[in-house]
Amino acid sequence: MSGIKVKGFFQDVTGVNRIVKAREESFKEASSVNSQTDPVRALADAIHPDRQVFTVTKVYEASPTARTFRFEPENGHIAPFQCGQYVNFYLTIGSSKVTRAYSISSAPYQARGEKPFFEITIRRNRPYFVPDWFFESVKEGSKVTAALPFSQFYYEPLRDSDHIMALAGGSGITPFASMAKEIAYESTHDDAPYQTLKNVDLTILYGSVKHTDIVCGDQIEEARKQAPDQIHVVHVMSDDPEWEGEKGFVTREIMEKYSTPDMTYFFCGPLPMFNMVKKNLTEMGVPEKRFRHDAIAQPSNVKMIPGFPEDQVGKTYQLTVMRGIQKDVIPAKADEPVAVALERAAIPVDTHCRAGECGFCRSQLLKGSIFVSPLGDGRREMDKEMGWFHACSSYPTSDLTIKIPII
Amino acid sequence: MAFYKDHYQVIIIGGGLAGMACALQLQAKGVSDILILEKHNLPGGLATSYVRNGVEMEATLHEMMSIGPKEDRLKVGQFFDEMGVDIDWLRVPEAYRFVETEKGIDITLHSGFKKMAHEIEKKYPGWGRKVYDFMNLCNRVYDSMNYLSTHQMGKLKMLKEHPDFVRTLGYTAQQVLDTYHFPEDVQDILKAYWIYVGNPTDTLPFTIFAFLLADYFRGGSYVARGFSHEMSMKMERKVEEQGAQFEFCQEVTKILVKDGRVYGVRTKRGDEIHCDYVVSGAYPNRVYSQMIEPASEVPEGAIKVINAKKLSVCPVSVMMVLDGTPEELGIHDYNIFSTNNMHMDELWANSKTLGPYHYLTSICLNLANPDCCPQGLTQFSITALPLVNAFEGVKEEDYFALKRQLAREMIGTYEKTTGIVIHDKIREIEVETPVTVSHYVGAWKGSIYGYAHDMQDHVVARLQTADSERFIRGLQFAGAHGISGDGMGPQITNGRAAAKGILDSLKEEK
Repeated sequence: MSGIKVKGFFQDVTGVNRIVKAREESFKEASSVNSQTDPVRALADAIHPDRQVFTVTKVYEASPTARTFRFEPENGHIAPFQCGQYVNFYLTIGSSKVTRAYSISSAPYQARGEKPFFEITIRRNRPYFVPDWFFESVKEGSKVTAALPFSQFYYEPLRDSDHIMALAGGSGITPFASMAKEIAYESTHDDAPYQTLKNVDLTILYGSVKHTDIVCGDQIEEARKQAPDQIHVVHVMSDDPEWEGEKGFVTREIMEKYSTPDMTYFFCGPLPMFNMVKKNLTEMGVPEKRFRHDAIAQPSNVKMIPGFPEDQVGKTYQLTVMRGIQKDVIPAKADEPVAVALERAAIPVDTHCRAGECGFCRSQLLKGSIFVSPLGDGRREMDKEMGWFHACSSYPTSDLTIKIPII
Repeated sequence: MAFYKDHYQVIIIGGGLAGMACALQLQAKGVSDILILEKHNLPGGLATSYVRNGVEMEATLHEMMSIGPKEDRLKVGQFFDEMGVDIDWLRVPEAYRFVETEKGIDITLHSGFKKMAHEIEKKYPGWGRKVYDFMNLCNRVYDSMNYLSTHQMGKLKMLKEHPDFVRTLGYTAQQVLDTYHFPEDVQDILKAYWIYVGNPTDTLPFTIFAFLLADYFRGGSYVARGFSHEMSMKMERKVEEQGAQFEFCQEVTKILVKDGRVYGVRTKRGDEIHCDYVVSGAYPNRVYSQMIEPASEVPEGAIKVINAKKLSVCPVSVMMVLDGTPEELGIHDYNIFSTNNMHMDELWANSKTLGPYHYLTSICLNLANPDCCPQGLTQFSITALPLVNAFEGVKEEDYFALKRQLAREMIGTYEKTTGIVIHDKIREIEVETPVTVSHYVGAWKGSIYGYAHDMQDHVVARLQTADSERFIRGLQFAGAHGISGDGMGPQITNGRAAAKGILDSLKEEK
């Protein structure tokens, strides 16, 4: 017989008996008390909680057309979040079931301690479905269902410069209101629960039409006064004859004027401003890794989406929706994302970013054809190849059969 | 509204690799009434990817084992071929580069026993032949292990036909290595993979160590062109094409048992679904401590087993997209194991802390899959594999800061050991910890590696006593907690073993 000799023939060939015995012994000696718990899962659940019920405890003006809503959790707990992240609301409005994401405008430290809360700030400068509902139906004492936090739009010290230029348009100021408040608190409190932004310099370049459109102006000014060396605010008015500061759009000249070397640029605002800012940064020679932007919601005017098949506008298709073995047939407008058709039919769909990026509303196309918006197409390569799509940013171009998760 | 049928023959908890392999195996044997319930909105568990700012990033350590080249497929590769799951495999260029700074070891090894032995011979003249002998021993154990995991055999016949396998069963990797009297450097080089089985060599069964070495150096390792997500998606599609119902975003919270036999599951959203068999991707720890309903149906023996078993290691992974090509960054190796020393006691003690970690593995995906990134970018990860214990006390407020601290330390250590500078080239970065794993796949304590392979829980002993550990009739387990343990390749084997368990019971019950 060939083969290895480790300690001698007898010792070697009886190994199997030893290992089986060792195993049986270890089971015999073990406790029979059923008491195992999983603290790692408890931590994961605390950081990524499910939907929760929140009570609105304060509603106050953030501009003549904007309101800040404060929410306190019924169970007393808010997950730690980072400035720039959003909260996702699960709402029933009329006969629709809708989800909407809003950037958190309060600071992370305010969600710790005895009376944790978070705030969002919504502008309604024209009638709009969900903002209307917030303005008309949400009062102190109202209860809403929401989950937080989400998104990768936040300052990451491992990657970003600690000199930040925030470029904001309209209500896109809210993530930076959060950031300004947190900087002010961290730099004045050694016992702050987080120390991430303590030494960060923040220059906010904020584009509005008129000074009365400035959202969260007072909140940001208060933060600036507490940390005047770190927070700088520059308002740019595009159409305000009375304004004495910077005027026009957020141009390359203005961005260069307030830039310091090696900044990271954070953007939150509407699509046209995004395109402009991106162009400016390219011309300024800012490396791509120094530009971070929030998810930019698909424009409700589909003509703004590059490549949108215009002959589809006005058409309606039949959408067959599979959830498990349940089959529903609903109408779907060609110029609305598939997710909106589902919401109108009160079929729950878990959209988050509504920009095509995050993938929460990942769905399977079984039959038919869709147009996928190239703005923020965050699909995996294999998903593209194998017929999966994000419902928030895909439009039917024929009758469709799709499969979505049961919610 | 009905989302489910009233009854299924088999319900599989978890659409990970093991769960899907189980479904494929069942379907191949004619069992098609299957429901798979997956917690996340993606298949594959950790074998997946995610997109950051338009760049798709691999979510795992991502090498697939036991595939082999088309003309010489190994076990897992054969299975995919037979099941008609057509994956675009890319061969990983080298096994590893091993850098140890205390003794100044720096060597790169490629797959192929002759080749790697030759590479060692060049640096350590006179030892290549012995390394080659050792690798051949590992290979014989590998072949025996593969054969015996699916064939019953008497002890005497086994000793006659698989002598090396039998004679090394009772020993640790260290005990067998010691019989070769290798110089310390050579031993250290051969031990580099130890962390991939998550146990120091003085308690690690030689059988497992040999299996791993032979698998890596014989067949080489592979990655899918479309990331691990390609493998997961293609398995999922095949499973669905063959008639299984596959539902995402459905976490199973309860397994329903009556008179010692499963009869269904309950999901988090409240659906109660009945079945004859349940395959659990959830760890036995979760199943027996929280999921069996009523809890009085949990036998004492099951509790003793979960109390006796030790969890293996868990990941801390820093995943990055870097500005620059690998060449521009000076990265020339797909995989580097790096450490300041190879003292197992010290490394093991270090793995029980929250860092800084000494034993790191880095992977540059571009060097196996050049199309994994847009032009001019590099996909790069650094991983430590500590024990989970230190993470159990982390407070939620401290979690983000801890992740950043771990990442900063790991990047710093990597830069110091290799001389390659990356910290100022980071375009995207994500830090994965056991908490991440727990959140996305629900694995017990975020463990990706199942139970520790040690001499008290030897893989062959597991095989020998498997039957006596089926505590609840109709309940099978498929995941890293299965007999074959951790790794993406072994998940296929674990899933098939669960399918075999069901097929055997079906035969018996007939």
